[in-house]
Amino acid sequence: MWKFLPYIAKNLWRNRTRSALTISGAAVAMFVFTFVGSVQEGLANLNRGSQTERSLIVFQANRFCPSTSRLPEEHARILAKMPGIEEAVPIKVFMNNCRASLDLVVFHGMPAEKLRKVRDLNLVSGDWSTYEKQRDAAMVGQALARRRSLAIGDRFSIGELTVTVAGIFTAANAADESFIYTHLEFLQRMRGMKNSVGTVTQIEILLAEGTDAKAMCRSIDEKFRTGAIQTDTRPKGVFQARAVGDLVDLIGFAHYLGYACVALVLTLVGTTTLMAVQDRVREHAVLQTLGFSWQRIFGLVLVESLTVSLTGGVVGTGLALAILSWKGLAVGSEGVTIAFSTSPLLAVIGLAATSIVGLAAGIVPAWTAARAEIVESLRSI
Amino acid sequence: MPLVEIHGLTKEYHKGDQKIVPLRDASLAIDKGDFVSLMGASGSGKSTLLNLIAGIDRPTSGTIHVAGTDIASLTRTQLAHWRARNVGYIFQLYNLIPVLTAYENIELPLLLLPLARAERQKRVEIALAAVGLTDRADHYPRQLSGGQEQRVGIARAIVGDPAVVVADEPTGDLDAETSEQILHLLQRLNAELGTTLLMVTHDPKSASIARRQLRLDKGVLLEPEPPKVALAARGA
Ligand SMILES: Nc1ncnc2c1ncn2[C@@H]1O[C@H](COP(=O)(O)OP(=O)(O)OP(=O)(O)O)[C@@H](O)[C@H]1O
Ligand SMILES: [Mg+2]
Repeated sequence: MWKFLPYIAKNLWRNRTRSALTISGAAVAMFVFTFVGSVQEGLANLNRGSQTERSLIVFQANRFCPSTSRLPEEHARILAKMPGIEEAVPIKVFMNNCRASLDLVVFHGMPAEKLRKVRDLNLVSGDWSTYEKQRDAAMVGQALARRRSLAIGDRFSIGELTVTVAGIFTAANAADESFIYTHLEFLQRMRGMKNSVGTVTQIEILLAEGTDAKAMCRSIDEKFRTGAIQTDTRPKGVFQARAVGDLVDLIGFAHYLGYACVALVLTLVGTTTLMAVQDRVREHAVLQTLGFSWQRIFGLVLVESLTVSLTGGVVGTGLALAILSWKGLAVGSEGVTIAFSTSPLLAVIGLAATSIVGLAAGIVPAWTAARAEIVESLRSI
Repeated sequence: MPLVEIHGLTKEYHKGDQKIVPLRDASLAIDKGDFVSLMGASGSGKSTLLNLIAGIDRPTSGTIHVAGTDIASLTRTQLAHWRARNVGYIFQLYNLIPVLTAYENIELPLLLLPLARAERQKRVEIALAAVGLTDRADHYPRQLSGGQEQRVGIARAIVGDPAVVVADEPTGDLDAETSEQILHLLQRLNAELGTTLLMVTHDPKSASIARRQLRLDKGVLLEPEPPKVALAARGA
């Protein structure tokens, strides 16, 4: 078949406007397809790598948005003493938007020594000693740094809050890379946050090996049930799933968008290939006269269809992944972010989908071309 | 043993109740190295007979043996492979592939044979030289004159050294002078390379360059007549 590739390429080039239009159509569809796949994979990755099975989140009861939950910081010290609890980390959450957003900026204020213990951060620039010394220092996730073009030493403001970038990190979990970590006290004392000294938004619990998470949730909530402020404790995974609940429905629906994109590529490539075949009825009859078997002609048309589809797929998927990894997009809600994934798997899926679609789209035109009667086709103009 | 042997060949088409019989009980033998012309009125079945011999059409009944193969009994795929090795087809309207250069057009049938690149190149160059178009190898069909296009068509038909070359009105679309050149070229290929040729033509003068002449009349193949008598009878 290799010997015939120049012939296929030249035929595509002969109708370059038509080929280019189809390829760009397929590319746009695959761009959207990859975007959808990216956020879906991001959602699937939400709970990966961040010890979600071993972590609990203690929140104020009946509160949903982080800006309304207030727990006494004291609770963290009480909890830390409970058997089965390894760490109790008081966290103050501050963010620019409580609702679903594509540009969610979430600050997590926590004691510096706890940050290093419970988060698996990998510094790509900056250093810990500067962070620990500086009151307004911030550790910024790489995705967010990219999105907001932040570098070490930059000052960065959201509303009344201004921090100085002391480090940029990558994390095992891509969603963590959309966070900014600061000192707890700095967040508690920021302007505009009234009466927030001594209170935190949530307490993150790291369980000791072998502790039953559900039972622990119950006993924590029981402990504070009679106090002034009740708690609502859930495993971290459950907590996050509830926070992004609305988004989950939306992302689930986007699934259909992905299918529609693939169907679009199928019809686009199918139409173009059929047109190309109809243009060349006589040419295919000539090839058959020269001794091309119907199988060979079938193959030639399939490869032509595959080439168009795959080129569109490479362009669309490649562009989507390039933009996603450059922009570091994340979608978030109620303080929990879903990072758009840019894993190589998405490229594999995109290319596999366009390959299958390219072959499928070529079947009918290829069959038409291959099974045409020679003498009859030679008479056609 | 003749190269082409036809017995009781009939081709019928059915259009509703109507039966069209472009070829009726034709029998014919063509020797290796012969140059045969086939004349007849329009619609007399010349192309039908030619296409049957070239293996791109199938008879309703009768047998066709070409180079010892009973081609009517081959499957569609076997027939395609058989054509690649045994038939060269020269079309009236050249039918070159527009996106390929003269060189690539001529090389096309060789791609179907188990030949190394160097061997293909050698053969294409010989064919190009034989039709006198060595300097036009890189030209596309649209950059060639009708006569040059037909010469590429002829080179494409002979490059694989097929058992038989058929030509359906090869000069039908060319002016008198160019036609003469093409006919002369065919005659030379037959004489020098020993190519077995079967040529359909409308023109008695063209037919007269062949070694042997056949006529078709309403699907019936007639005994060959001596060419001079045929010409005299028509007052040419
Ligand atoms: N597919 C078909 N269905 C019905 N009739 C057909 C078909 N193909 C050819 N014929 C008929 O067969 C007859 C012979 O056709 P053929 O093409 O062999 O003639 P020809 O001698 O080559 O004519 P010309 O000199 O005009 O090329 C014609 O009457 C034609 O109408
Ligand atoms: Mg004809």
